[in-house]
Amino acid sequence: MLGLAAVFFITLDLADSDSTSRVRRAFDTIFSPIEGVTRVVTRPVSNAWNAVRDYGDVVEENDRLREQVALQEGAAVAAAASVRLSQELLALNGLPTLAGINSVTAQVIGETPTNFSQTVEINQGANSGIKVGMPVLNAAGLIGKVTEVFADRALVMLISDPDYALSVKVVTKSSRTPVTLPPLPTEDAPTVDSVLETTDTSSTSSTSSTTTTILGFTPGTTTIPAEVIAGAGGGSNITVPLASQLAVRETGILEGRGPGTRPIVRFLDASTRTSAIEVGAPIVSAGGSRSLAPPDIVIGVVSRVVERLGTAGPVLEIDLVADLSSLSFLRVLLYQPITESGK
Amino acid sequence: MFERLLRAIASRWFRLVLVVLVVLSLQTTLFSEIRPFGYAVQIVAVFVACVGCTHDIQTGAVVGLISGFMYDAVLATPLGVSAIVFGALGALAALLMQPFREPTWWLRLLAVSVVAGFGEVLMPVMKSVVGLSGWLDARIIGASLVTFVAALIVASPLIPVSRWTLRERLGRDA
Repeated sequence: MLGLAAVFFITLDLADSDSTSRVRRAFDTIFSPIEGVTRVVTRPVSNAWNAVRDYGDVVEENDRLREQVALQEGAAVAAAASVRLSQELLALNGLPTLAGINSVTAQVIGETPTNFSQTVEINQGANSGIKVGMPVLNAAGLIGKVTEVFADRALVMLISDPDYALSVKVVTKSSRTPVTLPPLPTEDAPTVDSVLETTDTSSTSSTSSTTTTILGFTPGTTTIPAEVIAGAGGGSNITVPLASQLAVRETGILEGRGPGTRPIVRFLDASTRTSAIEVGAPIVSAGGSRSLAPPDIVIGVVSRVVERLGTAGPVLEIDLVADLSSLSFLRVLLYQPITESGK
Repeated sequence: MFERLLRAIASRWFRLVLVVLVVLSLQTTLFSEIRPFGYAVQIVAVFVACVGCTHDIQTGAVVGLISGFMYDAVLATPLGVSAIVFGALGALAALLMQPFREPTWWLRLLAVSVVAGFGEVLMPVMKSVVGLSGWLDARIIGASLVTFVAALIVASPLIPVSRWTLRERLGRDA
């Protein structure tokens, strides 16, 4: 009888019944004050535990972080400029950017009390406009999505939870050489399409190529010969990257695999070229009308490419850029995916 | 009417709900932060096992079910998953104690620990049954061992608490 009652509630809940959500909300109203008082009372005990257990690690980490901050300061300025430029270009072309999405800053107030779910509790909820399904980020990148919302708190499922899945893009590079076109009279100038269809047989002349250490970033280079700069000659050489030289974006599904285990990306397309994917290639959210997150949120980098036999396609292991073991301040993007609307 | 309300408030089931609320708040605060070897001690499971060890099978199962429903309401798991698991734990703990007419204190501690540790095996299995797969891995062993050892420590104070909670009338039967 009791078992049947439990099965009945499980069925209701798995069918996203409104009644179970109401039960949760009602229980939260009763439970929140008790939890708050207990948190205050037990805080010294947990602080003492953390102090004893983590002191050595914290000191070591502090030293390491100071060094890392010094290294990152210069890079951050350059990265901010690149991001701004990218956002301007996207806006100019009418493409969606993260800058256009409002967000709410929240603080992590609790971890999951069980060993079999990867969630954190944040101190913002429905009163701040948070809804189920909204993506959550920290300073480094995507960390998960909102799964349960109460008035002043919410539960966030982390990206490492086995129940989490998200469509992603793997930004890869091509090693083929760019095509440099000779100067042409204005009336014979090629269209972009015709240039992209041009094969490698075109002549290559001296070009000043831009070098970068940012993985996945393949700048096209436009060069002007010295004689043009000096005022001589009748035109300029234009170096256009081949279509195959542009960053290739393979799409797949990212899946969590539990704490301490790297998430993986499985490809929807079995014909994905394993050789085109390098260790260190960035993984970003794919976006799209049915995706759980807007496009181009940084998730991580490829740490290992596992090739599989037959048509199964490769599997990628991912190093997340966000450290899920020490989350503090998070940003909830007020972007509710279509698939989660109405929850 | 008022007298009936007072009687309901004074009943052991109302007391149980209040005690489970406190145990649950300890679970979501203190025991979710203190994680030996990265595993959270399941104090609610230990409490249910304590009730099972000190009462009959039916009481153990009902207390497990109520505690489980309350736990599910806090978590994001489907309502009823923890209820089934804790209901089974409460009944199992009582079943383990049945052959012993006057079980010694250490036997109770051992039974509570074994049952609470077994709960960490049962939980991912139950989650898989309802479609939340991905948790059946080696972590189960670590989670079970940590809960087993922690239960040996925390069951001592929880056994008297479970007895007090489900006492029929307070102050009469000591």
